[in-house]
Formats: sequence, structure tokens, C-alpha cells
Amino acid sequence: MKYLRIISILMGASLGVQLEYRANFTVNLLETALRLMGSVLGLSILFGGGESVAGWTFAEALAVLGIFTFFDGLISMALAPNLNRIAEGVRTGTLDFVLLKPVDAQFLVSFRNIDLLKLPDVLLGLGILGWSLGQTGVRLENLLLGAGLLLTAYLIVYSIWFALSTTAFWFVRVENVTELFWGVYRAGQFPIQVFPGWVRTAFTFVIPIAFITTVPAEAFTGRLEGVNLWVAVGIGIGLFVASRGFWRFALRAYTSASS
Amino acid sequence: MSQAWRKARALFAAWLTHMTIYRAEIVIWMLSGTLPLIMMAVWIGKAQAEGGAVQGFSSADFAAYFLVAWMSGQMTVAWVAWEISFAVRQGTFSTKLLRPINPFWEYFMQHVTERVVRYPFVFVIMTIGALLVPGAQLVESAAHAGVYLLAIVLAFLIRFLIAYCIGLAAFWLENATALDELYFVLSIMLAGSFAPLDFYPAWLRPILEFLPFPYVIYYPTQILIGRLEWPEIARVVLIQLVWVAIFVALFQVLWRLGRRHYGAVGA
Repeated sequence: MKYLRIISILMGASLGVQLEYRANFTVNLLETALRLMGSVLGLSILFGGGESVAGWTFAEALAVLGIFTFFDGLISMALAPNLNRIAEGVRTGTLDFVLLKPVDAQFLVSFRNIDLLKLPDVLLGLGILGWSLGQTGVRLENLLLGAGLLLTAYLIVYSIWFALSTTAFWFVRVENVTELFWGVYRAGQFPIQVFPGWVRTAFTFVIPIAFITTVPAEAFTGRLEGVNLWVAVGIGIGLFVASRGFWRFALRAYTSASS
Repeated sequence: MSQAWRKARALFAAWLTHMTIYRAEIVIWMLSGTLPLIMMAVWIGKAQAEGGAVQGFSSADFAAYFLVAWMSGQMTVAWVAWEISFAVRQGTFSTKLLRPINPFWEYFMQHVTERVVRYPFVFVIMTIGALLVPGAQLVESAAHAGVYLLAIVLAFLIRFLIAYCIGLAAFWLENATALDELYFVLSIMLAGSFAPLDFYPAWLRPILEFLPFPYVIYYPTQILIGRLEWPEIARVVLIQLVWVAIFVALFQVLWRLGRRHYGAVGA
């Protein structure tokens, strides 16, 4: 409860700052719309008039694209503005202020800011997902299952980002490290089945992109294999525990700058 | 003439040192252009599923196209719009204006030397890619490689000049980086990163011919892998020259008008 109140106070402060830059909003919206048109164009080129690719129809593949856009926006809105600052805190020593507060430090570094400019990306992603499900039709239990798997997907995304950002304790200039994530994440705009064998294996088990976009989309479209549900939950919880352990280990290496 | 040569050499040496220090960052920046590599995997997957080829393109054809398209993207990267926008907003552009050389050349050398540091890494990935997909023929002949070198230099000039003109818009706008982002998004869509243009919708092809995008990545790529006849290659290079001329003229106009508009923040 206390944590919910802290979140609402922090978000309010963050919003106040951003309302001063309203002009950026329109440009960002235009960019998002263009990027989305590009992704849809890319997908339609891949289908090339055919009925289906790797067992997915065009409308079903749009569900994957919708979830991809949704997480793309969510990361830029809620994760990047926070986690990218860990590096800054380590470099300048301002992380001390976070560590001294009587609140869990991981919580505080993860939910201090929100970038509302990216909210349209999130909504657009949900819109495409909704449109796709409207085309293919969806049963209630699949809707709930898909929503649940979006949560585990978020847990996976958060844990990967958090672990990447935590490397800042050793490699001080680490802002670029998250490019590693974006470079690979782009593969998530396609259903994992379109990739040839060993690439598919890598995106499933080495870097679990499949569990971020494809698996929730499979749940929504009612084609999820039961075992994948439990694998997704397992990977989500496992990665979260591992990233929290990594953060604690990193804090022990923190010596603070300039004090 | 010899004075200009001395200036060029001094700038080259200074920026090469600078870029060598940033080699780790350059490797990470290379990741921001992975789309052609991802599309390569997707199309090879489709070719395998459809019995070896899609519309006459085999796995090896796709590998050759996307690897070279990726390299062309890497060789034409330009972030000068961001640099100018930042310098104008912070007022550090004033210092550059006081120097007895157009700031253009400093930014130009910055980008050229970055290519020198970047290329070895690009070459390593190209080699790995070519080994992974047997039979991918990246270079048609030595003559094609020679023309590709010319075409990719012109492609870089087109992209650099566009970015520079967008950056100069910072004299009027507060922030020109958003405009450059828009360009970047359009170019991903229209330069041929998703597929060879043969796969694009028929109504889009004629429109693309009148835009600069395919001349930055698609056509240079087609030249190196040998998919164009010589008369066609001559036409491509000619149109590239026209685009360079257009953007040089635009640069001159913006530069003349913009300096009068410059407010020199913080000076």
C-alpha cells in the first residue's frame, strides 16, 4: 500500500515536468504512426499475397506486431527513463540518496519516472492487438490467458533491462548497453516460427524473445501449447529472481563516487 | 590548395584518434541497424519453408542481398543532425563559427574517420554471415566492387547532406533531432531493408524511384551483388549525382539564411 502511494507521488512529479514540452508530443505521435506503417508494410511484403506464413495468417501475425509495439512503447515509457539513470547515479554518486531512503532501492530506481510521450505507442500497440483479435475472434478464456502471459512477458522484459542496467556498477558508461536489447528485440515483431531452425532456438532459449511477443499472441489466438504457459511463468520468475540477486551482488561492489 | 590539404590532414588525424577511443561504443552503435540481418533470417526461413526459393530468390540470394544491404547501411550512417542540433541549442556552435574553416568539414571528417574505425568490425560480421550461408555470392566482380565503392561514397554524401540540412533546421526550430528521427523511420521503410524492392507492392515502386531512399541502400547493394546491367548502373550513379547536387544547393541556401537567424545561446 505504501509502495502504491509512493508510485503515485513520483509519477505526479514526473508528469509535471513533461507537460512543459507539449510540442514534442505531436512529432512523436507522427513518428510512431510512421514506424507502425513501416512494420505493417514489412509484414505484408513478407506475406506477399499468400494465405499464411509459418502457420500464421496475416491477421494473427498482426497480434504479434501489436504486442511488439505495446512492449516497445511500455519500455520507452516506464523502464528506460528509470533504468538508464542508474548509470548516471553510479557515475555522479547520487545513487547514495536512493540507497539511504527507507524504501527498497530496486523499487525506487525502477519506478521514479514515466515518459508520457510514449503513451500513444502503448495504446497503438493495444489497438492493433484489439483489431487483430476482432478479425480472428477470441474466446474469453483465451483473452484472460493472453493477458496473464502479457504479465509474465513484462516480468521477462523488466528483468532483462534491470540486469543490463545493473552492469553500470562495473562499466560506468553503460547507457549504450540497452542497445544490445533493442538490436535483438526487433526480431520480436515477427512470429518466432518464421525464423529458420537454429535462429528460432536462440530466440527461444538464449534470449527469450519468443516468450515476450509470440507466446502471448499464441494464447490470444487460442493455439498455445499448455507446456509453454508453464515455461513462460518459469522463465519470468527465474529471470526476476536472478536479476534481483545480481542487483544485490552489484550493490556490494558500489563504493560511491566523490564522497 | 596545399593549405586545404594540410587542414584536411589535421582534421583527419585528430578525428581518427577521437574515434579510435570510442571503438567500443561504435560496435554497440552498429546494433542499431540490425533490421536487415533479422529480415535475412526471416526470408531464409520462408525460402526453406517453400522448398528452397521465393519468387526465384534462394537462401543464398537473400543472404547476399541482406548482408550487403546491412553493410551499405553501416557505411552510410550519419548522426550529424543530432550534433548540430545539440551544438546550436547549447551555444557551442559559436566556437565552431569563429574558426577559419566551415564547420561542415569538421563534421564531415568526424563521419569519415568513424567509417575507418567501423569497417573492420563490419568486415568480420560480413565474413561470419557469408560462412554461415554457403553459396552466398556477395561480390559479382572486381569491376562491380569498384563501382560499388563510388556508389556507396555518393550514397553516404546523400545521407550526410540530408542529415546536415535537417540539422541546420535547428536554427529555426528548437529541436531538429525529431525531424531526423522521422527521416530515419521513412528510410527504414523505403530504402529496401525489409526486402529487395522486387517484393514491394507494385504501386509503391514508381513512387520510390523519385525519392532519395533507394539510392542510399538498395541500388548500391544491387550493384555489388551484380543484379544490375551496366547501362542501369550508369543511370543509378547519374541519379545519385543529381541528388548530391540538389542537397548541396539546399545546404548552401540554408547555411546562408540560417547563420543570420542564429541566436548564439549562452554566448
